Amino acid sequence: MRTSVKQLVTAVSTSVALMGAGHAAAEIQIGIAGPMTGPVAQYGDMQFSGARMAIEQINANGGVMGEELVAVEYDDVCDPKQAVTVANSLVNDGVRFVIGHLCSSSTQPASDIYEDEGILMVTPASTSPEITERGYELVFRTIGLDSMQGPVAGNYIASQNPERVAIVHDKQQYGEGIATAVRDTLKDAGVEIAMFEGITAGDKDFSSLVTKLKQADVDYVYYGGYHPELGLILRQARSADLDARFMGPEGVGNKDINTIAGEAAEGLLVTLPPAFDQKAENQALVKAFEEKGEDPSGPFVLTSYTAVQLVAEGIEAAGSTDPFDVAAALREGTFQTPIGTVEYDKAGDMKSFEFVVYEWHSDGSKTPVN
Amino acid sequence: MQDLLYFSQQLINGLTIGSTYALIAIGYTMVYGIIGMINFAHGEIYMIGAYTALIAITGLAALGIAWLPLILIVALLCAMIVSSSMGWAVERVAYRPVRGRHRLIPLISAIGMSIFLQNYVHLAQGSRNIGFPALIDGGFNFGSGDGFQMSLSYMQITIFITTLICMTALSLFISRSRTGRACRAVSQDLGMASLLGIDTNRIISATFVIGAALAAVAGLLLGMYYGSVDPLFGFIAGLKAFTAAVLGGIGSIPGAMLGGLILGVAESMTSGYLSGEYKDVISFSLLILILLFKPTGLLGKPEVEKI
Amino acid sequence: MAAYNFRHALFCAIITLIISYPIIGFNLEAQGIKVTLTGADASTLTMVLLAAVIVFLFQLFRENILGALRSIPSPLPEAKKEPMAENRRAKIESWVLTGIVVLALFWPFFVSRGSVDLATLVLIYIMLALGLNVVVGLAGLLDLGYVAFYAVGAYTFALLSQYTGISFWLALPIGALLAALFGLVLGFPVLRLRGDYLAIVTLGFGEIIRILLNNWTTLTGGPNGIGGIPDPTLFGMEFGRRVKEEGNTSFHETFGIAYSGEHKVIFLYLIALVLAVFTALVIRRFMRMPVGRAWEALREDEIAARSLGLSRTAVKLSAFTIGAFFAGFAGTVFASKQGFISPESFVFLESAIILAIVVLGGMGSQIGVVLAAIAVTILPELAREFSEYRMLIFGAAMVLMMVWRPQGLMPMRRIHIELKKQE
Repeated sequence: MRTSVKQLVTAVSTSVALMGAGHAAAEIQIGIAGPMTGPVAQYGDMQFSGARMAIEQINANGGVMGEELVAVEYDDVCDPKQAVTVANSLVNDGVRFVIGHLCSSSTQPASDIYEDEGILMVTPASTSPEITERGYELVFRTIGLDSMQGPVAGNYIASQNPERVAIVHDKQQYGEGIATAVRDTLKDAGVEIAMFEGITAGDKDFSSLVTKLKQADVDYVYYGGYHPELGLILRQARSADLDARFMGPEGVGNKDINTIAGEAAEGLLVTLPPAFDQKAENQALVKAFEEKGEDPSGPFVLTSYTAVQLVAEGIEAAGSTDPFDVAAALREGTFQTPIGTVEYDKAGDMKSFEFVVYEWHSDGSKTPVN
Repeated sequence: MQDLLYFSQQLINGLTIGSTYALIAIGYTMVYGIIGMINFAHGEIYMIGAYTALIAITGLAALGIAWLPLILIVALLCAMIVSSSMGWAVERVAYRPVRGRHRLIPLISAIGMSIFLQNYVHLAQGSRNIGFPALIDGGFNFGSGDGFQMSLSYMQITIFITTLICMTALSLFISRSRTGRACRAVSQDLGMASLLGIDTNRIISATFVIGAALAAVAGLLLGMYYGSVDPLFGFIAGLKAFTAAVLGGIGSIPGAMLGGLILGVAESMTSGYLSGEYKDVISFSLLILILLFKPTGLLGKPEVEKI
Repeated sequence: MAAYNFRHALFCAIITLIISYPIIGFNLEAQGIKVTLTGADASTLTMVLLAAVIVFLFQLFRENILGALRSIPSPLPEAKKEPMAENRRAKIESWVLTGIVVLALFWPFFVSRGSVDLATLVLIYIMLALGLNVVVGLAGLLDLGYVAFYAVGAYTFALLSQYTGISFWLALPIGALLAALFGLVLGFPVLRLRGDYLAIVTLGFGEIIRILLNNWTTLTGGPNGIGGIPDPTLFGMEFGRRVKEEGNTSFHETFGIAYSGEHKVIFLYLIALVLAVFTALVIRRFMRMPVGRAWEALREDEIAARSLGLSRTAVKLSAFTIGAFFAGFAGTVFASKQGFISPESFVFLESAIILAIVVLGGMGSQIGVVLAAIAVTILPELAREFSEYRMLIFGAAMVLMMVWRPQGLMPMRRIHIELKKQE
């Protein structure tokens, strides 16, 4: 069920639990809102595991201003309707700091409520530029924007001096957003764009598309979207002897694409945030994850960890748990985090967020290209 | 020449999808022909066939069996057995008890069954797309030099041939065999057929089983051709196949074949010459237009409303 | 006979094993880059076996079990009991309904914000289900694309507010009327079709509208949806912390009370409640008018109804249009509640859920529909384990309802005169 109403929220169960616990004075609640179930639950797992780890470690080091952080978890199934319900329960539960949501289409309606209610939100995964475009005071993120990732891919393709490029996307917010950014970058670089076309997410037959790509005689195909469709396109392109290099955003860069595309995944280019778990300074943290039996290599694990850390450091810096003070502190400060040095601009976006071009291999490994 | 090659390639693509639509459409058309209801859950049976085939293939690979014909035959048999059993059970549980009631009742029951089966597989196997190994690789290439090369893969040939064999076998079965004759009798007049000593319940079960078995064949073929399965893909394929059945004239087996091919070609031409985004719009519009202007389809017999 | 029973029971048990064991007993998992097959754990296999044994025993003793079930007096109200006098029943019903509405009016002031928000969602579903009930339950037209009209309502408000800055109160009738117009235009050609063809065509229309919303990026924002949809205002007073529209005042400043986000949530809830009651009352009136009886007449026997001089097209079209009208209503409220809409809120599944509500509630019955909407929305909330299985249970429930109680949990009753039974 791609956008199913598979379930409503944990809201009631959590709020019931909280009623029993009462709001103890010496704790700060951190809401974590993302998909625990549903089609993108695997990304939600990354978010929860990163945020939980951060909360554990911060508490182990004496908490924030002497107070303990308490995680309150909510399931929004990445459904906009349920995200609003979750946001309302969060308000109700008196939570004032939220790590989430994951999907841009959930983050956007939920952020309206948070901004109105004075709740600080840090999304570790939503990349849609619109989220921070609306002049909100309390919305932050620890991930780059589609409009940052697109140019990286676009510039890379342009640097290879291709003759003709095709851009395909899945007609969803994420995919089309990135594809548009790539197109604009390529246009500015004067590269000929032979095709800019949408497909239907969830479709299986791409033989016509592949034929069209072949006819257009392109050297590069950029795909904006997720791995299930790109995996099939790669595979069907290979069996039709399409001779072109494919490239995609971080939504295609996970090992599932190898199970679908097999050999055809070799040589795929992917823009990804740098592998934070490979950094030397993060090895202690990586070990902590591994001891818990969790995988720190997912794209949203350390961004979620950082989101919690930023909230904690923001509270310390502001010397207050008022979200508006914390937001101001976040905008002023410079923070050392597992994802690098973080500085915020007025909109709540990081001043710099690096994307790296990787080459994907048929055994599921990746190597940086430049 | 270039354009002609391009056109033929899109035609081949369309015919390939079309022939599998036709295989699925048989299930709709036979059931409709006999008891006059749309078996909404048929797309799910096709999906279950694909899943079973994949489970069998993965299992055989784990056992270290690598002889291709054996793998294909085992996978096909497993898929057909599970799908047919499912078809039989679905009819028994959801359709037989409501047969003969108001038209809406079996239809809602069928929609419920479709939702149920989708979620059954979803819960058992998860919602991820799972890769389907490409067992048949390679193909022929046409065209010269560095221009557009038309390709016809062995997989596409396999699909054509299998579909052709299935269709011929089915036509022979319906026209020659005893059960086939009984099928035709029941679809003419259920009450009369039962008076003549035909076990109508058995015949109806048989239609479901045959339709499901053909859907399983399509499931295996399409799984290999496209490359992945997920619990949702049966629904939309089912809708397309239903469209094909209606297009060709529901109740008619050659009609299902014709309808499937036309629909497949229409879709691939839409994505080939217009844009892939509007593929589904075209097939649904085609369905609506046919229903509005020629509800009996291309090869269907006009239906007289009985009082 | 016993031998046949045994054979049949064994056959059924084997089929049960065949359809459950391969799918449940093996799990396809992507491990690294390979798909591997893992066997399910012992408890799952035991469940599969148990299911087969149950099927076997049930089939073996089918006659005895069914016989025993039949002899148990049904716990449902209408069985055997002397039916209440119709006018008394109607009176009690209206008292109960008024009581519920009064209760619903005061309830939000005492409960948590999350519950009120959820209740608003329930009310939206009630509106949708009441509207669809006219089409499916009363007129007997299976509309599988009902969500399209819901989308029309929601998008009308969203687009009008984006381009012209229209307020909720003006958008409400416009959205509903536009949805009704859509119903009229779409209904006109398709209503000639027979029941099951109609179902498919409406499904197709629903999908086409969704795909168009998704592809027409310049107007609808495509997959990005439309954000910043304003909240309803109360006589020009806004409920936000800051006033967004020129010339409006804010609610908490006007009354000199502290700002609280709850005001807005409760206000939205009250609006939804009023609209849902309005929907129920209007449809109730329709049901008693000649047109309502014509719907049912046509549902029961089209040929007979036509021979009595009812215009098939006019009657069906009126049901279709009225249903669409209320979907537009619900859509506008939904857009306002969400503040952001995108095509993914209007998928086929949403139509299926609304249909499930109507079917479970008893086609045609208003109280039944209201109860079913509450059950379908709240139950997954109460039991978290249950929510994984929600759609599975919906599907099974739809089948079982059709098999055992096609008239629904609370079937509709009309005021009628019983013929005296001949002794």
